[in-house]
Amino acid sequence: METLAYPGVMETLYREIMPNGLEVVVLPKEGFSKTYATFATRYGSIDNRFAVDKGDPISVPDGIAHFLEHKMFEEPTGDIFATFASQGASANAFTSFDRTVYLFSATEQIPANLETLLDFVQHPYFTDENVEKEKGIIEQEINMYRDNADWRVYFGLIDALYHVHPIHIDIAGTAESIRQIDKETLYSCYETFYHPSNMFLFIVGGVKPLDVMELVRNNQARKTFAPQGPIARYFDPEPASVKQPRKLTALPVSQPKCLFGFKEHREPLEPNALLRTELITKLMLDSLLGSSSPIYHELYDDNLISDSFGHEFNSSEDYAFSVIGGETRDPDLLIERLREAIENTQKSGLNVQSFERTKKKKIGGYLRMLNSPEAIASEFTRYRFRGADLFKLLPLYESITIEEANKRLREHFNWDRMAVSIVSKGAK
Amino acid sequence: MSKSQFQRGQLHRIRLHVLPTQRFKTFSISLYAGLPLKEETVTPVALIPFVLRRGTAATPETIAFRERLDDLYGAGFGFDVYKRGHSQIIQFRMDVINDRFVSSTTPLLSASLKLLGEVLTDPATDEGNRLRAKYVEAEKVTLRKRMEAIVNDKIRYAAERCIEEMCHDEPFRLHALGQMDDIAGITAESLTAMYRQWLSQAAFDLYVVGDTTLEEVKQIVARAFRLDGGEPSPYTSTPVESTPGKVRTIIESMDVSQGKLNMGLRINTAYGDDDYPAALLYNGILGGYPHSKLFLNVREKASLAYYAASRLDGHKGICTIQSGIEIANYDKATDIIQKQLESMRSGHYSELEMSQTKAMIANHLRELKDSANEMISFDFNTVLSGRERSADELLQQVEAVTAEQIAAVARKVELDTIYFLRDGKEE
Repeated sequence: METLAYPGVMETLYREIMPNGLEVVVLPKEGFSKTYATFATRYGSIDNRFAVDKGDPISVPDGIAHFLEHKMFEEPTGDIFATFASQGASANAFTSFDRTVYLFSATEQIPANLETLLDFVQHPYFTDENVEKEKGIIEQEINMYRDNADWRVYFGLIDALYHVHPIHIDIAGTAESIRQIDKETLYSCYETFYHPSNMFLFIVGGVKPLDVMELVRNNQARKTFAPQGPIARYFDPEPASVKQPRKLTALPVSQPKCLFGFKEHREPLEPNALLRTELITKLMLDSLLGSSSPIYHELYDDNLISDSFGHEFNSSEDYAFSVIGGETRDPDLLIERLREAIENTQKSGLNVQSFERTKKKKIGGYLRMLNSPEAIASEFTRYRFRGADLFKLLPLYESITIEEANKRLREHFNWDRMAVSIVSKGAK
Repeated sequence: MSKSQFQRGQLHRIRLHVLPTQRFKTFSISLYAGLPLKEETVTPVALIPFVLRRGTAATPETIAFRERLDDLYGAGFGFDVYKRGHSQIIQFRMDVINDRFVSSTTPLLSASLKLLGEVLTDPATDEGNRLRAKYVEAEKVTLRKRMEAIVNDKIRYAAERCIEEMCHDEPFRLHALGQMDDIAGITAESLTAMYRQWLSQAAFDLYVVGDTTLEEVKQIVARAFRLDGGEPSPYTSTPVESTPGKVRTIIESMDVSQGKLNMGLRINTAYGDDDYPAALLYNGILGGYPHSKLFLNVREKASLAYYAASRLDGHKGICTIQSGIEIANYDKATDIIQKQLESMRSGHYSELEMSQTKAMIANHLRELKDSANEMISFDFNTVLSGRERSADELLQQVEAVTAEQIAAVARKVELDTIYFLRDGKEE
């Protein structure tokens, strides 16, 4: 077990790689009643074509990672929620583009709950019958999101930006795609992606690192996993252009919801450069469009944006795009006004005071996030899967210069690679 | 386990509640202001925080006000308007990091409380001490858009419509944000008058959790809030109302893919009552968790829904059920849910249901202590209900609840309203 101290944020991590390849990190939080544990696999909705050990690539139906997540909760003995409930733990799971995460939060019986978490995720139990039964439930989940305007406008934008990259496919798939899922495909995805060497266990809360490591070590020693070679994931080349400059969706909403974004096309970056670029871009966007920027106030005064206006930047090795917008009375006017403001700022550069203030705000936001075990576990895992370290962000934020932000300001906004997604009453 | 460690004090009209702790990297501040929920005042009162957050006398321009927050290392600042029992509550919330993590020249706790004091007692005004007309007009638009936007989230819309129908002859039918038709008539003059009345009548509670003391907070607040003398206003506890009679069924059409099925139940038990812990168990066994009857029977056994759950509102004494289903399955789902209510009434709860539900509630009550804001919200329940009961005490009471006590609650429960939001097509 190695010890990693981060005096700047007053935290200490303990880390160990188990003989089967499972990586475990423990963050003790003194005085906390609760323990929060996440068990994550590097496997999400975008992993729809892959091969192991240089074997032949296989393609799987859309939504299968999410389907698998649902099915893991079923054991021959019944529903695993009941086991967690008997042990006073609340359990859950979620699937994102690039990971599937199983979690629990509890204040008592931590060893029993940890064993349950490890055991149910490492024990698939799929039958023709239980796979069939799940389809009705997931179809209702898909329908629920179909009625959700925020979800539709957000995923509508990603769909408009990407031609082939599977990020544009709904995480849950469609009613049609999930009908193709059977227990055989579930097992082959499971065996590939739930190998311990592809997984990461993070535990934060009122725990003792030595005890936790011993428990995990013993638990893993009781199970056998055949060694597995590297997993190759295949993505077809993505064109630089956007798929559809304007995507309209009709739903009964009070005001149009409008999100637009810029797609970047670049060579894959190594993890540190990727992380730095992401932080610079977020800082740049907040300084330019945040709630204390002049443009925000002009647009609010002109009734073109509301408190829902926001921005984000998402990037990984093979995609990068921004998302900007919110509710508006006039999507086209909003974009026109933002374009004018962005082009002016590109010429003048960001305001120095505003940039420094935004940096302070980001540092404060980062430190506030470290109060929340849930946020730490989620963010730590996200960064870990990209080869970065959440607890090293503070000095990174501090070192970002306005020149770097201005450079990103000038390269990110390429109006030929912009798409807009609008959800409104009238759209057809 | 220890009792709640909030230190209590008072400064003029504000009750102070301070929890000194070094566990967090932040100071968490909440200011609650409550008034009785009334048709005549609900809308202008809801508008007050929207206008106050635009600026203060010292920093009247909104952009300068937001910059002040950024300078406090991006202090979180927000507000919420909601209803609890028969009160309309406005909550201002601030979160600021503890100075020891950064090289700050201003003490962040006192700077934050100073800002909050200005927001509450020294707002941006035009001449004649009138709230800025520009902000009043702009925030009227924002408030109207907020009300209109409720329909955008169909799950929330259906839940609120169900309560509105269920409480159609009580103040609780009102939305916390007020009524659309009342917005246009509000002027800077009328809102200023309402603001002054609110300051002099609302019940104020200020909470601070972090590395500080009651004495320190009291000194800062004395300087930062421009307060008149007087005593804090109490909350009047709500008598639980019941309108027995036939179950009302409301079906509404809209362009939706999925039907939203909601039910409203009168539980005839309130937060301050002795049988409230039993009501918590009633809700937990019925639909509070993934091991509960609703989840197991509507979702796992019948595959009818992705979500099927119940929620308890102890301050109003009601329990609501919500589920998203295929429109054609309305009868089937209603039937299954009614069977679960019947099974609750019959008083047969398995040992396992009892122990699982107790364990889940206990876990929730223990977890509260790891979140400053959750500790604040929980403690505020005691202020609201007038019943002193710490999380530890409630936990012990929950552990002691018997099946017979839950059955006694179940026998008092009445199904009041069924609300279904479906598509526009006829069957």
